[in-house]
Amino acid sequence: MSKLSSLTERAPGSRLVTHALIALVIFGILTWFNQIVDPLMSYYLATAAMYATAMFGMTILVGLSGQVSLGNGALMAVGGYVFALTSLNWQTVPILGTPWNALWSMVFAGIGGVVFGLLIGGVAARLRGPYLAGLTLGIAVGVPAIANRFPGLLGGENGLMLQVPYPAGGYASIDDGFDEEFIDDGGGESFVDDEPIYEELPDEFFEEAPLDDSLEDPLAEEDMLTDDDFLSEDDFLTEDDFATDEGFESDAGSDPDSMAEEDMLTEDDFLSEDDFLTEDDFATEEGFESDIDPGGQEDFVDDPDLADSGAGADLDLAGVDSGFVIEQWQASVAVAVACIVGFLALNLVRGRQGRVWQAVRDDPVAAAVSGISPSGSKVSAFVVSSLFAALAGAVFAQILSYVGPGAFALGLSLSLLVGIVLGGRNSLIGAMIGAVILVWLPEFVLSLAADRGWEDQVTNNAPNFIYGLLVVLVVLAAPGGLVGGVQDLVKRVTRR
Amino acid sequence: MTNFIDYFLGGVSTGAIIALMALALVLVWRSTRVVNFAQLGQAMITSFIALTVRDATGSWLLALLVAMASGLVVGVIVYFLVIRAVKRLDTSGAIIATFGVLIALQALAGMVWGGDQKAFPPPISNSGYEVFGRTWPFSPYDLLVVVMLIVLVLIMTIVFTRTSVGLAMRASAFNPEVARLSGVRVSRMLILGWAIAGLVGAVAGVLVAPLSTLSPTSFDLFLVFAFTAAVIGGLDSLVGAVAFGIGTGLVISLVSGYTDSGNAPVVALLLLVLNLLFKPEGVFSHHKARAV
Amino acid sequence: MLRVEGLSVSYGAVQALSDVSLDVPPGRVTAVIGANGAGKSTLMRSLAGLVKPQDGRVLFDDEDITGRKPEDIARMGIALVPEGRSTIPDLTVEENLKLGGMWRSHTQRGTSLTRVYALFPVLGERRSLGADTLSGGERQQLAIGRALMCGPQVLLLDEPSLGLAPLIVTQILELVSQMAKDSGMAVLLVEQNAATALRVAKTGIVLNLGQIVKSGPAHDIANDEELRHAYLGY
Repeated sequence: MSKLSSLTERAPGSRLVTHALIALVIFGILTWFNQIVDPLMSYYLATAAMYATAMFGMTILVGLSGQVSLGNGALMAVGGYVFALTSLNWQTVPILGTPWNALWSMVFAGIGGVVFGLLIGGVAARLRGPYLAGLTLGIAVGVPAIANRFPGLLGGENGLMLQVPYPAGGYASIDDGFDEEFIDDGGGESFVDDEPIYEELPDEFFEEAPLDDSLEDPLAEEDMLTDDDFLSEDDFLTEDDFATDEGFESDAGSDPDSMAEEDMLTEDDFLSEDDFLTEDDFATEEGFESDIDPGGQEDFVDDPDLADSGAGADLDLAGVDSGFVIEQWQASVAVAVACIVGFLALNLVRGRQGRVWQAVRDDPVAAAVSGISPSGSKVSAFVVSSLFAALAGAVFAQILSYVGPGAFALGLSLSLLVGIVLGGRNSLIGAMIGAVILVWLPEFVLSLAADRGWEDQVTNNAPNFIYGLLVVLVVLAAPGGLVGGVQDLVKRVTRR
Repeated sequence: MTNFIDYFLGGVSTGAIIALMALALVLVWRSTRVVNFAQLGQAMITSFIALTVRDATGSWLLALLVAMASGLVVGVIVYFLVIRAVKRLDTSGAIIATFGVLIALQALAGMVWGGDQKAFPPPISNSGYEVFGRTWPFSPYDLLVVVMLIVLVLIMTIVFTRTSVGLAMRASAFNPEVARLSGVRVSRMLILGWAIAGLVGAVAGVLVAPLSTLSPTSFDLFLVFAFTAAVIGGLDSLVGAVAFGIGTGLVISLVSGYTDSGNAPVVALLLLVLNLLFKPEGVFSHHKARAV
Repeated sequence: MLRVEGLSVSYGAVQALSDVSLDVPPGRVTAVIGANGAGKSTLMRSLAGLVKPQDGRVLFDDEDITGRKPEDIARMGIALVPEGRSTIPDLTVEENLKLGGMWRSHTQRGTSLTRVYALFPVLGERRSLGADTLSGGERQQLAIGRALMCGPQVLLLDEPSLGLAPLIVTQILELVSQMAKDSGMAVLLVEQNAATALRVAKTGIVLNLGQIVKSGPAHDIANDEELRHAYLGY
């Protein structure tokens, strides 16, 4: 990297260009990767990119600026909720003449992050070490709880469901008839205005998977109901079976005449043959009604590769390219955001501001004497990391198609901390490594568990247990994390 | 007015437990200048151990004793995990290490005992006393909690102010170098401090478990409350920890009663923010908590 | 009693002490003097175990104690009164005193406490008050008292005169010198105020930039004008 530094030291403008190139190259590589892998890997890529976005902020806040903060999960919540709320409620609001779409939601999410970052930073920048950590711990626990306080607006405990923005732009809204888009609201209605979105299932659907032979003549005559099976007149009580005036013993001197014929049950009061189902009402071989409900998206194969393998017909979802894979789209959004944020982070970290942050961290008095405002620098670190976290939260909301208090709980903040500590607190590369670890380790544990038949409670908790131990180990032995450890190793080797 | 008394009484035992936990945090802070965020993970684990013992033997007292012993041991273990960062003067590292321990402990509990909420039966009645024909929100169990708080605080006060060990511990916390020069084995005193804190925390955990359910994450909110109480009182002050622990419990009880129980974490957060904004070093403390 | 051989201490690139050798015999005061930054405090801290030397040895009654921990060295009988106010303001006067010598027997400690109160009456008067209520001179007495509570055979005094009125300094130093003679305690006194130090000491050692420039009878060094001009500033 030192050659790179000497390159960029020549002219500040060239540094910007170099960073942009780096970001573009990485974007290119990841996009290509995204296209060639299966949806599951795209999902991992999306999640890793989302984590990386938030963790770039942590690197700046915890690493360069030295402020151990657990608040970034809450800031992701801010970004996620702003994104969700604006996309759900402001769809028809045009901003600057353009229709609402995901981009605007992200901008607002970012603004929300900056505002909260200023608020929190204003208080936190005055605090040291454990006070700061404790305050942000309180924020991490408290902010998601706020969502519960406003079930109407914020969806309460269950959160808010989102519509994923699509390449054509905009969102489907209930009011406009949508031509090109369809709603994915988690498997609910698929009809709007009684117009089926999906084309009728073509006949080939049935031919490919023919019904069982034995079903061609499903009902034989013996199975059908006949007259004998039904109740007839003879089975019912008639007038004759009832007491008449003569035989009627009256109790309290009630007038036998009070029981008039109208009071007695007659034939009409009872069920007759007409009320019962007959043979005609039952299904015959012809006209077998199809039970199949064109339900939610999940019923359909949307992966073009699988469609080709013959498991089903080549479905053409109305207007949407059947080559469309939602995970790829989410991943491309996540990667784009991560690369943009990464570019910003790179400029900050390797530029003057990065040095300022580190100077304040290492020796606030000396920094103050040199004319740098320590509290100003701390607040700026907060604001930047909050912005990044909020954007990551907005991406998270799109990946989940959902925001809720459970998604942004304390565990998320702790995970972010774990990620940068393991990868390397002071390095953006460390943040990326940390993001990969956060995505990879749980899957690794799952595969181990499958091999060895661990119980669920072990599998679910093993990653966290490992994270905790690794964090302690890293602090004990290799405070610079993976990246720091490698740098030390390199130094030691090159010293000889 | 009856409502107020009810909420007040209801908050006393919660406050007593928060006070105990805040006490543990302060103990560790005084000896090593570290806020041991893992303290509540330790208390949670020892509570699970206590539950297992109780289920196996039926004796709450035995469970309490085992919890205290394991609290001692776990406290010492965590000390050794964290202390190297402290010696390196890496404050961030020490804080991160305590969170690492917390994460690991919660995960460990999940692995061994599972994630569901478990019930921890109280040793004596947890239903309110019936006085003057009314059921008060203060039960025999609440009385036990308060008594234990008083007993523990008394014992600790005597140990700290009247014994040589207590003096050595205090000196080690205030000025380790001078203590060393006076022949005090400072590292041993620090270990002792963490061990006692672990014990106190364990007691707090066992006492709080019957009041709700026990699960790996059930103490998270509790951590925020205890930390808030400790900070308001001034992390250096044992008196502050007790006073504001009880105070925090009362405030939470009043807020939950008059408004909604979901507001409790928000209120705690608010208290914490206000305190840190205006008097971060705490009400009873000597030292400064602000940065430059 | 206490012997230093070829002690060298460096802090990173700075060489604080180079090849320092000296003896601290019992029953008298040995003074180490020199300008600021000469390495005097480093010497004291190394002897007390607070700093590890890169080279050389420290022998106590012929036992090598180099690199031992401070608390162990204190328990062996070498007590340092460090530079600056080394009392703990959060504790009372008596608590500060009782902090010293906890490993000793109850009787020994009782005797020492009585002796300290006899030596420094003002401490006895204020024994239950916080140490922060004491004046500068009183705190120095308290610091020395605490060291004495350890029952030391060697007393290391690091710049006791700092910030104190000359009269008080003289009083304290003469007290200490008397104690040394009476009890056979070895006293190593490090001072910037060379004149006062040399008055109570038997031997004088001049330190400059981490090296010994001259050592000999205190009287001779005090009278050596050239030496004084060159290294002692007067």
